[in-house]
Amino acid sequence: MKLKKVLAICLASAMTFSLAACGSGAAEASAPAAGEAEADEAEETDAADTEDEDTDEADAADAADESDIPTYTQLDLGKYGDAEATIKFLHHKTDRAEDGTMDRMVAEFNKEFPGIKVEMEAVTDYAEDSLLRLSTGDWGDIMFIPAVDKVDLETYFMPFDTLDNLSAQLNFVDNWEYEGNCYGIPYMANAQGVLYNKAVFEEAGIKELPKTPTEFLDDLKLIKDNTDAIPLYTNYAAGWTMGAWDAYIGIVSNGDDTFMQQKFVHTAEPFKDPGDDTGIYNLYRILFDAVAGGLIEDDYTTTDWESCKGMLNRGEIGTMVLGSWAYAQMQEAGDTPENVGYMPFPMTVGGKQYVNAGGDYNYCINVNSSDENKLASLIFVKWMVEKSDWCYNEGGYTVVKGGKNPDMYAAFDGCEVLSDQPAKAGEETLLNDMNSESELSFNAGGNDKVQRIVEAAATGSESLDDIYADWTQKWNDAQEELEVSVDY
Amino acid sequence: MNASVNTTVKRNKRTFREWLGSRDGQKVLVMLAFLIIPLILLMVFTYIPFAEMVKFSFYNMKYVGARKFVGWKNYIKVFSRKDCFGALKLSLYYMGGSVVQLSLALYLATILSFKVKGGDLFKGFMFFPFLINGIAIGFIFKFFYTRGFVFDTVLQWCGFALDNLPYWLKDRSINNISLVGTSVWRYFGQNMVLFIGAIMSVDNELYEAAMLDGANKFQQFKYIIMPSIKTIFVLNVILSISGSLSAFEPPYVITDGANGTGTYFVVMHEIAHTQQKVGLASAMAVVLLLIIFTVTILQKLFFKYVFKDGTE
Repeated sequence: MKLKKVLAICLASAMTFSLAACGSGAAEASAPAAGEAEADEAEETDAADTEDEDTDEADAADAADESDIPTYTQLDLGKYGDAEATIKFLHHKTDRAEDGTMDRMVAEFNKEFPGIKVEMEAVTDYAEDSLLRLSTGDWGDIMFIPAVDKVDLETYFMPFDTLDNLSAQLNFVDNWEYEGNCYGIPYMANAQGVLYNKAVFEEAGIKELPKTPTEFLDDLKLIKDNTDAIPLYTNYAAGWTMGAWDAYIGIVSNGDDTFMQQKFVHTAEPFKDPGDDTGIYNLYRILFDAVAGGLIEDDYTTTDWESCKGMLNRGEIGTMVLGSWAYAQMQEAGDTPENVGYMPFPMTVGGKQYVNAGGDYNYCINVNSSDENKLASLIFVKWMVEKSDWCYNEGGYTVVKGGKNPDMYAAFDGCEVLSDQPAKAGEETLLNDMNSESELSFNAGGNDKVQRIVEAAATGSESLDDIYADWTQKWNDAQEELEVSVDY
Repeated sequence: MNASVNTTVKRNKRTFREWLGSRDGQKVLVMLAFLIIPLILLMVFTYIPFAEMVKFSFYNMKYVGARKFVGWKNYIKVFSRKDCFGALKLSLYYMGGSVVQLSLALYLATILSFKVKGGDLFKGFMFFPFLINGIAIGFIFKFFYTRGFVFDTVLQWCGFALDNLPYWLKDRSINNISLVGTSVWRYFGQNMVLFIGAIMSVDNELYEAAMLDGANKFQQFKYIIMPSIKTIFVLNVILSISGSLSAFEPPYVITDGANGTGTYFVVMHEIAHTQQKVGLASAMAVVLLLIIFTVTILQKLFFKYVFKDGTE
């Protein structure tokens, strides 16, 4: 009896002990994480509280950076052949990771910088996942900037250089500029135009590329009448392909490079018909009239992004409205790459066609990385931008000033190429806030609002004017909610 | 726990140390020791994140950046916006689907739990869809419903002309039914297997006795099988109804919630991740939780009433 009792107590105590050990182990492991989270929160609130002092702090940070890490323009790639570090690069190019392009570029990089080891992670659902990773802080040294507010840039990323220095050497670096510093450099740039199949255009009897929405719609009708191709493929089901229409609402539709980032949020009726075949009104009118006129695919709800590439290549599709980044993929998808063409968007403002070119995703460097990693990351980014030819191979518009452009931009010769001016000081986050508040999300994943146009035109449930009236209402409500002045 | 400790101490007039050494104290200690790991896991991964979400629902916030306390404003918005509660109407389609699903599952389960040729094979085939990943099913059915693809081809073999067939995902009057179809296809096998398991546990002698008394198959089903699988039946109904309130995968993968197929979850996802209104989405999640609570309690009461006669 006694023995049993002793045994039982021994057993119980042993168990309690082992469990307690487990428990404390877990607690220890989770403790630093919790500490970090708190620190992050504290930083965030600090950043919010002391916004006025930010300039001073940023300057101070710059000074500190200059002492050990050169800025982008100061960095001389030739001098750092012996740099050693292991850096991690988080990116969204899953297709390029799979076909080995990324590995080849890193191998090339390692010929010049054998001491820098680059680990890469490709994320499929980048826009969402990267934001989550960013908020945990555990993402590596280099990533592509996700949709963060500009005031938060300095919390997360290291500035590359001042805007003045950088824009002397590179194009499109003002996207992620905050208080004079640049936090992002685009890996390639896109020019916004329209993909088309040259053979289909020829067969339809289209001699000149269309220059206005009305001409474009007429040409789509010609394609429908004279060929078997789908005149305009909407790619409705993929969603984001519909959101791609938003890229044309600024420079392309009104020739004003201050519209998108500066004036749009202050405009009372941005969706009004200017009456001369331009403006946002006529941009989405193309889509609405094309759907209403049966100039799109038969069943838009079951479109498939992967197979549309080959269809355009083979001439089963006449046109698709997508950025220039898609051009290379369309060429690769079939046996007739020579038939894939790219033209400026068919809209003429004041006798001139405008092209909106802008940076794609931007490289950025983790502000919390060690100094060696920051330096190595900077070397890697500079090499990728200037020596990897990645931008050119992807069919991108050149990021380096004076760099060579791919042949596909031949049709853009007579056009005015502009990129959006950055937002005014103090209004850097206003467009994001307006997008979020109004839930229209222009150029920020607002796919459902464009899908709604297709649905309305196909089912006749709403007229285009109804939709614009609703958008205007939402836009004005958001302006009221955020107390934005209405100036235009 | 502390309260019970104190009362024990008072009642028995022992010191805490004495109590700890006693049989009662040891019992509590061992119980606690065994429970501590699951309790910690439960707290860390369920209740703390949930409390955090409830907190979020009172803020106007994005994933990153500053947060602003707004009180009940998010909840007011959930109830005043058209798209939030409009999306719940779609749940009616899914509830209708779950009725079909459960009756089909129950019917087949009853048949298959008696001796049927190739019964195991059928069970395997019908359970199989449940094993496929939901996203894969979405892609399968996207092509299945595409104009002129699988479904249309099969129907054409049966003599339908393509021109008379509707667009399964484009036509707004039937696209939700098409989506519900995929969900029924996926889950009815699982329901069926659960039913079969429950029916197997019924004592065979009961059937023999019933047969001697002259009960036919339907009477056997009504008076023997149904009462014996009551618990599993109620569980299945509750799971299907809460599942239909939170339907997500079919509309998200197949139609991306477009064209009037955005269920409550899809709308919530859109608001949280595209519009970045995390506070509002959290409020929507809390409201949905309350709705599911209410519906579950109502169902419990309903079944208590329905099965009263069967058991007594």
